[in-house]
Amino acid sequence: MNLSVSSRAPLPLRRKARPPHWPATLLLALLAFATPAPRAAAQSDPVLPPSSTLKKFSMEQLLDVVVTSVSKRPERLLDTASAIQVITADDVRRAGATSIPEALRLASNLQVAQIDSRQWAITSRGFNNLFADKLLVLIDGRSVYTPLYAGVYWDVQDTLLEDLDRIEVISGPGATQWGANAVNGVINITTKSARDTQGGLLLGGGGSELRSSGGARYGGQLAPGVYYRIYGKYTDRGDSVRPNDRASNDAWRTGQGGFRVDWDAAAGNTLTLQSDLYDATMGQPRPDNIRANGGNLIGRWSRQIGESSDFKLQVYYDRTHRRIPGSFTQNLDTYDVDFQYHLPVGSAQNIVWGLGYRRVEDDITNTPANAFLPPRVGREWLNAFAQDEIALSKDRLHLTLGTKIEHNDYTGTDLEPSARIAWTPDGSQTIWTAISRAVRTPSRIDRDLYSPATPPYRIAGGPRVVSEKLVAYELGYRIQADPQLTFSLATFYHDYDDLRSLEPLTPPLPFPVEISSGLRGYSVGAEFTADWRVTPFWRLHAGYTELRTRSEPQPGSIDRPRARSVGHDANQQAFLRSLFNLSAKWEFDTDLRYVGPINNQSVPGYTELNLRIGWHPAEAWEVSLEGRNLLHDHHAEFNTPGSRREIQRGVYGKISWRF
Amino acid sequence: MAFLKPNAGAALLRGSAPRWAAWCVVVAFFAAHVSAARAEAAAISAENQIKAVFLFNFTQFVKWPARTFADAQAPIVIGVLGEDPFGPYLDGVVQNEKIGGRPIVVRRYRRVEDLAECHILFISRSESARLEQICAQLNKSWSILTVGDSENFSRQGGMVRFATEGGKTRLRINIAAAKAAELTLSSKLLAHAVIVVSGKN
Repeated sequence: MNLSVSSRAPLPLRRKARPPHWPATLLLALLAFATPAPRAAAQSDPVLPPSSTLKKFSMEQLLDVVVTSVSKRPERLLDTASAIQVITADDVRRAGATSIPEALRLASNLQVAQIDSRQWAITSRGFNNLFADKLLVLIDGRSVYTPLYAGVYWDVQDTLLEDLDRIEVISGPGATQWGANAVNGVINITTKSARDTQGGLLLGGGGSELRSSGGARYGGQLAPGVYYRIYGKYTDRGDSVRPNDRASNDAWRTGQGGFRVDWDAAAGNTLTLQSDLYDATMGQPRPDNIRANGGNLIGRWSRQIGESSDFKLQVYYDRTHRRIPGSFTQNLDTYDVDFQYHLPVGSAQNIVWGLGYRRVEDDITNTPANAFLPPRVGREWLNAFAQDEIALSKDRLHLTLGTKIEHNDYTGTDLEPSARIAWTPDGSQTIWTAISRAVRTPSRIDRDLYSPATPPYRIAGGPRVVSEKLVAYELGYRIQADPQLTFSLATFYHDYDDLRSLEPLTPPLPFPVEISSGLRGYSVGAEFTADWRVTPFWRLHAGYTELRTRSEPQPGSIDRPRARSVGHDANQQAFLRSLFNLSAKWEFDTDLRYVGPINNQSVPGYTELNLRIGWHPAEAWEVSLEGRNLLHDHHAEFNTPGSRREIQRGVYGKISWRF
Repeated sequence: MAFLKPNAGAALLRGSAPRWAAWCVVVAFFAAHVSAARAEAAAISAENQIKAVFLFNFTQFVKWPARTFADAQAPIVIGVLGEDPFGPYLDGVVQNEKIGGRPIVVRRYRRVEDLAECHILFISRSESARLEQICAQLNKSWSILTVGDSENFSRQGGMVRFATEGGKTRLRINIAAAKAAELTLSSKLLAHAVIVVSGKN
């Protein structure tokens, strides 16, 4: 396996305007001031609340406190050589988030825009769209990136948010380990082990926008060491509005249920079996409502071998059905097997390798307006990866080399190597840099889309579409200035080739077009976060992201997109969150965000505010009142004025009881 | 909040690198400054903080035979045998706490013979070589809840073992050993623990 970055030479900046020399200046400035400060013994650990707070925790809560960072190898967030942000279950609760997309707003390295009542445009590092196609999303190891549209149907990605363990958001390519489509980032959502959700939970609430919701969970023990939980939830959300104040008929309802069983078997073996089922009805003005339902079944076996080796085998099946009257009906079955093995070699090397196989069977019922041809396909992906983390100097300098080889039915084999270096001069700060290559392999929408369904076509498929390629250059710095204060900065330059284009077949006529890979582009930016535990009862979190994206035709392309970028991205966004414990029983949380204008959609910039008051009259009870998007009656976050929907102010009350 | 001004960022990327640099210098300098001021706040690891809080919690979930207390006001004694991983943190946790009218005190021990008044005993890893011998000696004659975090703790007769798995603390409880020592463990405690039997881990 080729472990070096050898994709193309010369590597950097060979044709795009404005080479970004400012990251170098930045690094110099940081180095000059990165003076090591005296360190306390345990500064590497997660920072826990003071003992006075811990003593009030229930057994369940104490067992749920993360005391060491979780990863394939115990690795501190501070040392990680990538732009990672972690959203904890408590962050989600205190943000009053009622859906996964709302929770994702807590990661300032994501661009999150609500399109209407149920649709979201979410990506990192730009090129955002309704189906942002460069972001890989996993829920408990199951990919929810649809191979039809290249993107995520956010309206059916849900779980009982109280069962969330954490959400890891990695901006920048994660293809070496995570695989194709992890081009601009990876979102890795995990739920708690059934062991950590024992007992009962009932919750319900209502308000405007989120009109009503309810949920229940019960967890128990089947046998010594075998834990289970079952859950169900229901959500009913109201319409978004058109800019002229008229309702847009996109109210929707979903129901979901599932179970999870975790067995802590002998000798370091853990077995997990879990499943979800959902059904949703979503409004659209005509001709009829959208129906979506589906489910999944996941089996996972992980085993610790000796002190420092482990493996994980995961198998899952996923089925989705979606009927969009007037467009198409889809039935998609996914079968996936993944294997990972981790072993140390000597004292200085850590190797992780893995194999993966996925098969999808996609069955589309087309309508006269457009067609995926052939309507019914089976597709397979095969991959292998290996990654070696080498300690060049113990605890100070780490080099991580790795590559993934992935085979797909459309374009054959792609190589996705990466090299990362992390320098931790004194245990409290890390400077990291990385060069990586990632690809987005074609989806059915790239190759198989025809419109109308019969000739003469206006859109005539994409027989020549190849994988989109990215080479990313990243440079970051993290400092734990003291146990209460952390700063993180990630800067990047992404260089894209073979982005999707629409090539006129009979120029100068604009139509018909063939889908092709005629564009190239770049993005450049910086992601900054600061986390400050001001006092034991007050925490502040700030985030700021600066982003520019551009795209242009490659030689040979006759696509002439009007905008300077095919993505729809705000140039800057800023967040400030405050989590304040008024007393042991009262919480007051504030969430302020600014998102800059999206120029090529004429979306104005906006500032919005969420507030939450939480009250714990007794240990088992929580009552909260949440106000979302309080500053405006309604505001726009995405889309051109003609098809724009706006998001209304919402107020929501919720009550939950644990038993 | 100057950075909320929409045009500030644009100016930065339009080539005025010195402003970026200056801004970051300010941040780094501030960080170093604050850090120096707070460096004296030496702390024990998060893992050990949680274990200390658990030791305190056990006082509420375990019932000792009446004979282990001299009188109604006699304290509940949490002992640490061997190298102490908790330091003053544990003392802080139990300070001013009372369970059923009894105060809680922390004592450090070097020898098993001194343990007569102890109720909960954390046996440090420094003692793991002679663990089996210690447990045998304790279980035979005293009603002491033995707690530890070494790998073979349950196998060698210890009652409650802290294990760290997936970044979180786990409890493994050897009920038979606790019963033999005439200790009653609350179902609240057992509900969250993995029950093990002697001879297995």
